[in-house]
This record gives sequence, C-alpha cells and structure tokens, in this order.
Amino acid sequence: MARAALLHLLRHRSVATATAPLSAYKCLSSNSKTPSGIRWTSICRAFSSKAAVNDLIGIDMANTDSGVAVMEEKERLDPFSLVADELSLIANRLRSMVVTEVPNLASAAEYFFKIGAEGKRFRPTVLLLMATALSVRIPELPPAGVGDTLPTDLRTSQQRIAEITEMIHVASLLHDDVLDDADKRRGICSLNAVMGNKLAVLAGDFLLSRACVSLASLKNTEVVTLIATVVENLVTGETMQLTTASKQRFSMDYYMQKTYNKTASLISNSCKSIAILAGHTAEVAMLAFEYGKNLGLAFQLIDDVLDFTGTSASLGKGSLSDIRHGIITAPILFAMEEFPELHAVVDQGFKNPANVDIALGFLGKSSGIQRTKELAMKHANLAAQVIESLPESDDANVIRSRQALIDLTQRVLTRNK
Amino acid sequence: MATALSVRIPELPPAGVGDTLPTDLRTSQQRIAEITEMIHVASLLHDDVLDDADKRRGICSLNAVMGNKLAVLAGDFLLSRACVSLASLKNTEVVTLIATVVENLVTGETMQLTTASKQRFSMDYYMQKTYNKTASLISNSCKSIAILAGHTAEVAMLAFEYGKNLGLAFQLIDDVLDFTGTSASLGKGSLSDIRHGIITAPILFAMEEFPELHAVVDQGFKNPANVDIALGFLGKSSGIQRTKELAMKHANLAAQVIESLPESDDANVIRSRQALIDLTQRVLTRNK
Repeated sequence: MARAALLHLLRHRSVATATAPLSAYKCLSSNSKTPSGIRWTSICRAFSSKAAVNDLIGIDMANTDSGVAVMEEKERLDPFSLVADELSLIANRLRSMVVTEVPNLASAAEYFFKIGAEGKRFRPTVLLLMATALSVRIPELPPAGVGDTLPTDLRTSQQRIAEITEMIHVASLLHDDVLDDADKRRGICSLNAVMGNKLAVLAGDFLLSRACVSLASLKNTEVVTLIATVVENLVTGETMQLTTASKQRFSMDYYMQKTYNKTASLISNSCKSIAILAGHTAEVAMLAFEYGKNLGLAFQLIDDVLDFTGTSASLGKGSLSDIRHGIITAPILFAMEEFPELHAVVDQGFKNPANVDIALGFLGKSSGIQRTKELAMKHANLAAQVIESLPESDDANVIRSRQALIDLTQRVLTRNK
Repeated sequence: MATALSVRIPELPPAGVGDTLPTDLRTSQQRIAEITEMIHVASLLHDDVLDDADKRRGICSLNAVMGNKLAVLAGDFLLSRACVSLASLKNTEVVTLIATVVENLVTGETMQLTTASKQRFSMDYYMQKTYNKTASLISNSCKSIAILAGHTAEVAMLAFEYGKNLGLAFQLIDDVLDFTGTSASLGKGSLSDIRHGIITAPILFAMEEFPELHAVVDQGFKNPANVDIALGFLGKSSGIQRTKELAMKHANLAAQVIESLPESDDANVIRSRQALIDLTQRVLTRNK
C-alpha cells in the first residue's frame, strides 16, 4: 500500500511544483524525521524540474485511490492564493496606516502601497503561511501576557508583523532608489523620480517611524529587538555593498553576509517574530528563523542569476544591472575562483562596457551560473527540510500552509523574473 | 530632569520597574539621553542632505565630506541603533513615545518643505510645525524619563510640558537670532531661513501688521530684493518683539511646570530643579 501511495503521489504531481500535500508523505512514515521522510524529499529533488517524470506515470494507476484516503487535494496549491483574502486585508490596513494629514507626505508614503504598485507581496505571504503553519497547540503554558490573548488577537498581531515587515521593506527600497539614482521600481517610476529625493528620503523615514509605532503596540520587547536589528542589518548590508575593499569584494563569505543583511535578515527575523508572538519555544522560533533565512538567501542567489540570464537561459539577456553598477555577485565570484584572470578585470571596474563583455565571457566559460543555482537549491532545500521538522500537526490548514511554504522554496528556484 | 524627578513615589511602581536598582534606573535614563541624541543627529544628517547644506556645527556637513549616500545611510544607521537601544529598555510605552518622535520629525520637515499658501501664513500651522521639528523630541524624551522612573501619568505630563515649552521657546529665539544674529539690529543674522523661503514667527507677526507683506512672501525670496523688502517691513513691525514675548511666555510656562512638581527636600533634586528653571531663562538670553 505504501508503494501504491507513492506512485499515486508521482502521478498527481505536476512538473513545475510539488502539489502533493504533506499528508501524502505522512502516509509513508510515522514521523517526519525517519528515513522515509528523506526519501520523499529526495524524490522531489530528482523530479522537480524534469519532464522525465511523465514517463514514470505510464503505469496504470486505476487501483491506487483506495489506499490513500487522506489525500484529497488534487488541485494545485498556489501559496499566494491560500492567503489572498488576508493579503487584501493587510493591504487595506497598510494603506490606512500610511495616511497622514500632510498631503505630499501622504502621496509619497502610499506610493508603493497603491493597488498595482504593491509588488509580489512575497514577504507577507511567507509570514501569513508561517503563522498558520505554526498554529499548533503548545504543551506548556505560554509566558504571562501572551497566554491570555485570544486566537483572533494573536492572528491580528501576526498580521501586524506582516504589515511592519512590508513597511520596512518599502522604506528600504525608497532609500535605496535615492542612493542609486534609480528611475524605475516595480514597473513604475521610482518615487524619487516622480517627487524628488527629498520626499523619497522623508517618506522612507516616515514609513520606518510608522513601523516602529506599530511594533511598539505589539507590546513584545523581544519582537521589537528583532525588528530593530533588521533595520540595522539592512543599513549594514547596503553599506557593505557601497564600500568594499578589494579583498572583501572577492570573498564569498563577505558576499553571503551582505546578502543575509540585505535580503534574508528581514524575512528570517519576521518569521521568528511570528513564532515568538504565538508563544513557541526558542527551538521552534529558531526553525522559523532558519526557514526565512534559507528562503531569503535562495531568493537572492536566483535574483543574481536572473540579472545575467533574464528570461533566457543564455548569458547576457538579463538586465546586467548589478555588474554595470560594479556589484559583484555570486556567479562572478564563482567564476573568479575558476579564472583568476577575472580578478584584474573586476579590479578595473565596469564603467567601461568592454570589461562587462570580458567578464561575461569568463562567466560563460565557467560554471558560475550553475554553481550559484546549486547553492540556491541547497538553501531552498534546507528551508523545506526545516518545515518538515516542525512539531507535528493533523490540522488540515496547518498541513496546507506547510506544504505551501515548501512549494515556495521551489518557486524561488524556478521563477524567471 | 532625571534628578529633578528622583523623589520617592508613594505607591508601588508597576511590576518590572519597581525592582530596578537606583543605578539601573539612572542607566536607563541615561540611555534615553543617548537615544535622543542619536535621533537628533540622524535628523540633522538627513536634513542636511535634503537642504544641500554644506555646514553644520561649525564644520563641514557630512554630505559635503562623504556624499549624500553615506549621509542618508548614516542617518538610517543611527536610527536603527537608537531603535535597538530603545528596545533594550523593555518599556513599550517609551518605545511608542520615541517612535512617535521620529514620525513627528518627519512630519515637521515635510510641513516645512511643502506648504500651501494658506498654511504658510498661519501661526497655528507654524507652531504645529515647530512642535514637530523641535519640541516633540525634548518633550517626549522628558516624559520617557518620568515613565522609566515609575511616575504617575500626571507627573509624566508635567515632564512633557516642561520639554515642550522649553523646546518651543528655544525655536522661537532661534528664529529671532536668524534675523538679528549677535546684534540687536536687523539684518546682521545669517538670514538663512528667509533665503530658503522658510517663513518664521517674526515674519508671520509682521504680516499681521502689514498685509502688503503677503504679496512679497508669495513671490518668494530667490530674488534678494524681496529679502530686503521683507526686512524693511519687519523692522517697522513689532514682529521681533512679539516673537520674543511669545518665547518668554513659553519659557515661563516651563519654569512654572518645574514648580508644580511633587515636593522634595533632597538637595540634589532642588538643585536640578533650579537648573531646569535657569535653562528656561538661558534659552531667552542666548545670542547664538
């Protein structure tokens, strides 16, 4: 029966995403840490993006349904659609939170929260899914003060983390665009291009302060510390990118630290905050942190690849904006390990377009792109494994959310924009 | 203020605050002072970027020396360090107060940048902007000092009122000095406000007496001739005098607040309160 269940799993998987609910795998093993759990994960890896899986499905599956009563979901689990209603709620609250009586400031602050300019809302999606994924009964009593919050109050405060996270994220985008003289963001003009640098800097400060006020209202000083540290990390990461001495620019460790600061810190610490608000143990909070961290790192590494490859698998079709701004990312760092000659080119800088072409040449000959993708996959898989180590639950919502979180780890790898 | 408020509190302080040693309390109050200074400097750094200023505190501005990027980042960095330090105080009321300060600073700066005509002539709008830009930080940090010490809401409000009135008095005199500088006569000051099109209390008072001044203000002050015309009206008006009087009113309010604090026989407390009262006079008599 286990084998029939496994084959049923394979039959109902689509190539692009892992749609089999977590409960399917639970049929195969009694707890998430047994070898059969690992087997399932490695099956995911083997078949995640190859069309060959369809060949395996030629086996007659007529008799498999009887053994798999728990697995009813055949529809694709779209992580974003699971939390769509809540995202709208949060979007509306965000718009009302950035209102102010000063008209120009109001226009500036709400610029990236208007419908159409909200971006992918990736972070709030992750956080809301994490909130549901962690909604298990906690054996010991939660600490005083947290224990008497009603379930709805807890959910509201977790939604607030999502709002705060988004405000901090947009604030950092506003300042980054000023620093980089960017004229486009999220497919529209950047705020500084439309309203000037002054209002963009002020709007960023304003969003930060609103985020702080909202943070204070949660009355949880551990969470306040975590989120305050995120802001510090964002600034540190941006500064690391701006001002790198030669030795550091060639260092993969430095690059990963910078990437953690700039991208992963926000997701990891807000995931951890979600867990803390729910009263979870330090261990579970760390699991939430690790999920966010690995997801964020994977996301950024693929971002680096896409900057070179764009929508095409070949080099050079991407926007190449990183390298043109002299930002050395993982693919180039890997290429430099294989071709030390590349050091000299990087040292010269990329104001000269000829150097960009030379660097692309070395990159193409190297396995830089491939190794970056592999590193991203490693982190994505680490994130997926973290979800599997969460305390068990039979709740259908919890299971669906955890599956969605796992799906997201694959989506960050397969996205092409 | 911390010493001025170090009186024994009759009722038990709220849980968590009551068991801090006196030295821990003092340390956390010192931290308020540090946080306040970090936020203040962060706002100066960003303001100088916004205004393209090249001088600050008698030396080159940071943006002039290291560029706008680093100045914006440095301001963000200071703000984030202030937030982390704030969180370590483990007092969410204080966190809320200080976070509100940052919001007020931004609002005040934006009010100054983007004023429609009606608002530019309004004394109420000007005082609100001045509260946001200058007084909010001092008032809310004074209140935080009181809250950390476990004082009642009434005493905390007294601390707030002292800071607010002191801050307003300070800014009003600042406005006067921008016209008068080290001399009592008009025009020896740096005139930097008016040259940047920032309309302050003296001009607002002068406009009440000379409606003709409205038209000049509307035209703006890129043309230096308009600056001279405005100064002319200002000299004929009692704008400078009325601003000084308003500053004095706020300074005296601040001094009265100190006198309404709960009584104390402690020599240190008495000395600190006297010093706070002295400060209210010093903001009036300073000439730079």
